[in-house]
Amino acid sequence: MHPQLQKLVALQDIEQMIAETQEQGDTLTDMGFNLSGLEALKEKAAHLAGEIEVRHLNYYRRLTRRFGHAVVPVVGNLCTGCFANIPASFVSVTNENKLQKCENCGRILYWP
Amino acid sequence: MPDLVAGDKPGVLAEMVAKLVAGSKTMTRPDAVLQMLESREALGSTAVGPGVAFPHGRTLAVQKLTVLCARSKQGVDFDAADGEPTHLFFVLIAPPQDSGHKYIKSLAVLTDKLQDAALRDKLMAAEDYESFCAALKGN
Repeated sequence: MHPQLQKLVALQDIEQMIAETQEQGDTLTDMGFNLSGLEALKEKAAHLAGEIEVRHLNYYRRLTRRFGHAVVPVVGNLCTGCFANIPASFVSVTNENKLQKCENCGRILYWP
Repeated sequence: MPDLVAGDKPGVLAEMVAKLVAGSKTMTRPDAVLQMLESREALGSTAVGPGVAFPHGRTLAVQKLTVLCARSKQGVDFDAADGEPTHLFFVLIAPPQDSGHKYIKSLAVLTDKLQDAALRDKLMAAEDYESFCAALKGN
């Protein structure tokens, strides 16, 4: 996997965790979960964001604002963001080290 | 539902992720799953019940709600609030697009059920997957 994509996936997972903790914090606390590390998690997200190339990070931020999720999995050759067909050539060996974007919606593609 | 071999928290997380990936046709990125679970533990330990932990979260690396139950006869220090070792583990991993928060509802049901000491004893004593599931369903 493209190393920058690996970091973008981790960043999206952590940012979603932060958002969910803020939205569902009371529910999770009622279940007994300790959420005292929220600030540390925000620092971890900031640190991770600092490791991503600015052009990729800015693109990720724009997509997140627009769609909620910037990185989406490809399932059955479909972009799960917009359900456009992803050409088979996108998964070729020569493209393995490129950050792939959906030609229809622009979301960053991830092959789980 | 493996009996865990690892004796510490990082080892248990890694072992459970390895089992999840081995048992799944669609989950191929154990590193992403493990990273997410480690981040979740950094937020606060998921060992909340007496002797029970619920590592959970969302990641792009899964396509549907995925659950793994595991247990450790010897117990593991999972940073529980009561300082006691953790014996039962329920891992819940959801995809990012689970907008109905199905996994949080499942988590609520499990955390509530596992308050019952008799149920925890049955789960620890279960000899196979079927009897473990039957105990969990209340049969």
